[in-house]
Amino acid sequence: MEKILITLNINDKPCEVMVYPNDTLLEVLRDELDLTGSKESCGEGVCGSCTIHMDDKPVRSCLTLAMEATGTKIKTVEGLAKGDELSSLQQSFVDHGAVQCGFCTPGMLMSADALLKINSKPDEKTVRKAIAGNICRCTGYTKIVKAVAHAGNSQDHCPDCITFSKAKE
Amino acid sequence: MSDYAIIGKRMPRVDSRAKVMGKAKFTADLKLPGMLVGKIKRSPYAHARILNIDTSKAEALPGVKSVVTGKDTEGVKWGVFAYTRDQEFIQTQKVRYIGDEVAGVAAVDEETALKALDLIEVTYEELPAVFDSMEAMASETELIHGDFPNNINVHVNIDTGNVDENFKKAHYIREDTFVAPEESYFQAEPYAIVARFDHEDCLEIWCPNGGPHMKSKPLSNAFKIPLHKVKVRKIAIGGAFGGRSEICPVDYICALLAKKTKKPVRIQFTREENTIATRQGHAMITTHKTGVDKDGRVLARETTCYMDGGAYSSTGPIATSVPFLSMEQAYRMGSVRYNGYRIYTNKPIRGMIRTHGRGFAAGLDTQLDMIAEHIGIDPVEIRLRNSRQPGEYTSTKSYVDSCAMDETIHKAVEKSRFKEKWGKLPPLHGIGIGTNSVQTGFPMGIRGGSQSFIKFNEDGEATVMSGVVDNGQGNDNMLVQIAAEELGLLPEDIHLVSADTETTSSDPGSYSQVSTFVGGHAVKIAAQNCRAKLFKVASKVLKVSPDKLVAQNRLIFVRDDPEKSIPIKKVVRISLLNFNSVNAEGGYWPKVDMKREWVKNPYGQMCEAFSFGTTIVEVKVDPNTGQVEVLEATAAQDVGYALNPLVLEGQFEGSIAMGGQGGMLTEYHEWNGGRCINPTMLDYKLPLACDMPPKINNIIVESVDPKGPYGAKEAGMSIAMSAAQAYSAAVSNAIGVYMDSFPLTPDKILAAIKSKES
Ligand code: FES
Ligand code: FES
Repeated sequence: MEKILITLNINDKPCEVMVYPNDTLLEVLRDELDLTGSKESCGEGVCGSCTIHMDDKPVRSCLTLAMEATGTKIKTVEGLAKGDELSSLQQSFVDHGAVQCGFCTPGMLMSADALLKINSKPDEKTVRKAIAGNICRCTGYTKIVKAVAHAGNSQDHCPDCITFSKAKE
Repeated sequence: MSDYAIIGKRMPRVDSRAKVMGKAKFTADLKLPGMLVGKIKRSPYAHARILNIDTSKAEALPGVKSVVTGKDTEGVKWGVFAYTRDQEFIQTQKVRYIGDEVAGVAAVDEETALKALDLIEVTYEELPAVFDSMEAMASETELIHGDFPNNINVHVNIDTGNVDENFKKAHYIREDTFVAPEESYFQAEPYAIVARFDHEDCLEIWCPNGGPHMKSKPLSNAFKIPLHKVKVRKIAIGGAFGGRSEICPVDYICALLAKKTKKPVRIQFTREENTIATRQGHAMITTHKTGVDKDGRVLARETTCYMDGGAYSSTGPIATSVPFLSMEQAYRMGSVRYNGYRIYTNKPIRGMIRTHGRGFAAGLDTQLDMIAEHIGIDPVEIRLRNSRQPGEYTSTKSYVDSCAMDETIHKAVEKSRFKEKWGKLPPLHGIGIGTNSVQTGFPMGIRGGSQSFIKFNEDGEATVMSGVVDNGQGNDNMLVQIAAEELGLLPEDIHLVSADTETTSSDPGSYSQVSTFVGGHAVKIAAQNCRAKLFKVASKVLKVSPDKLVAQNRLIFVRDDPEKSIPIKKVVRISLLNFNSVNAEGGYWPKVDMKREWVKNPYGQMCEAFSFGTTIVEVKVDPNTGQVEVLEATAAQDVGYALNPLVLEGQFEGSIAMGGQGGMLTEYHEWNGGRCINPTMLDYKLPLACDMPPKINNIIVESVDPKGPYGAKEAGMSIAMSAAQAYSAAVSNAIGVYMDSFPLTPDKILAAIKSKES
């Protein structure tokens, strides 16, 4: 098999990369482009830890060929923050204690971010449905669901949760 | 209210930011220059003699850098204890389960490594195999390990005396048997390891682990190199749940390949390998015989448990004991006899798991419910009549200091409105309660203690060194919180160096629930020692005695006159100008009975503290599908003291998911002979967000343990165990049949409903 040069648009930057036709997008992101934020937990489309966005839709990059991704806009977890500034969803994950081991987190964020794009104030049931394809072994999901449902709330005070008391105060 | 500045606060974890940005590095994310890909050749047979291994074709394949077999291991064997050393790192004589390691390959890429595996020719002579405990004990065919008659690997016998006499006095006696098959950890991160030998011939490794110092010692033994030459490095870890406690053959094989090739080697497990070739939870057949007086107080109990241990010992003696210990801690018993047998079978190796013996624990609680019904009291009452009280000794002679078991029961009952609902729910609705206790640590000899070093930098910030590892539960944050509290700094002023065997001192690891109690304690003491040095300098400047000073918010000030203060940074600089460094050490060794041993002497002080938990769940069963819907779960645990409620709640919720929702409803392995037919996430049913109860009530109970740091002890695991009990009790209550085979899958539930109707 021969490698082919393709151009991918990742996190708003064009990247040229040599790929085998059977390379998955996840392999190319992790091995060729050093974007290791996307994780492989199952490799067969079940766990959601490899979730990225293709044209704003959540997609499992372990089941997507890199070649299929040409001509689309790809976003990975590395593209969520603006420089050092976390997106409100990322900040909400931190503040709600939605991250434990963190292995599921990138995929979880991408699924949740895609939901928030079409529904900025989802109820908890909607959130549970939207992340039903993302397996988290640590958290029992409660704090993840809250983090997504409350991502739009001010980060100093979340009405349904106990006020965040920052250690500094 | 405490006057702590940082301890006890809902502080978001220090490691979360890197994780939400995708920056945290896990082992499989590492890339080292010249790194090779390693793969393992595994046995296709459950039991077979190895007649010959021919690696010549594999070695000749372009791109293959090394092939190793048992010939290269110098016969070293692994086992947690000297008396359980039964596993060669690469098998030379026999393979004992489908997946046993027979060779390792390092090659330039994965494709070449996989091709090389196919080119290794192994000739086997197949042997008869056994696949469950009973069959294995009765088998007359070749033993799995020649020196273990009847394939009995471990026998733990505990007897307090008076059991038979007390049964004679009993008002009511029941004997019931409960079964549960194997379950698995399914950590989100599949196991991976990177190893290399550096320019000083030191072995450097990165891998998910439950204790870096528990990896370095066996590796130093295996490679016959000094301990300081084994550098287990810190890396983000995607979950452990008890399954990453010991070293496994792949650690050795990866290091051996690195040694042979003089290159870094990375081995990444497939999901299937993570299930088959790391550890699993034991399948168990447990019989509880319990005799009570007319009020339902347990006078005598006899428990016999057969655990399917798989092909090798692993942590066998510990795993054979912990289900019993959890029971004896949670409940008072007039007398008890326990016989736990761990049996070798030709199946994957079983180890420690977060929900130690779900069938054992849920069985015990089911039987309590049966007894309660017989004597006409409710499940809450029978637990209160038998629950552990502070100041008592367990059956195996451990003193129980802090204990708020009853408070966890009362609070959970009140919150869940158990009393209002019990017996009054509509048909197919049920409510159930489970109570459990988990030990905070166990005797680990010279590795039972933890030590910490702290140094102040000239900018007034501090570096904290500790051997404690974070598997995902938040240990890094715990250490930072403690150090910041004691040093008077903010969490962001603390730089943590942890879980690295080159720079940190020995630590028992995270898998005995002891990270806070021992490791956190060591950091607390080191920080207090460091603060004392700061106070000595500051007292001269502020002209008050050191005992009048407080350190908080980067300042040292006089307690009664807070205006009188000096920045910590300045104190550090004054100290340095006077040729005094500001650093300190601290260590903590729990006072346990060092003579206590799992098999030979299972009596004496087990650990310094025990946690206690109660879970109550309410369910609804669909009689057409057998599906269980969990309406609400309530978890109450005596954690001693909550260092960070936000983190604790996460442990409770995760425990409900793993112990209850998954552990009691969907999770188990299926087999075809010795082949696991559901090793992947597609076939093994893990709980999803939409499966979980919409509401989980977390209740933190604080007994403030006199020995724990700030009073803290184990947190979370008592919930995982009691959740399994509560789920099973609630389903039994809903369908009106006491269930004895776990997990409670729809087929079993439908069969139970049907049998009741007929
Ligand atoms: S790794 Fe892609 S879904 Fe699991
Ligand atoms: S945080 Fe560990 S798997 Fe989700």
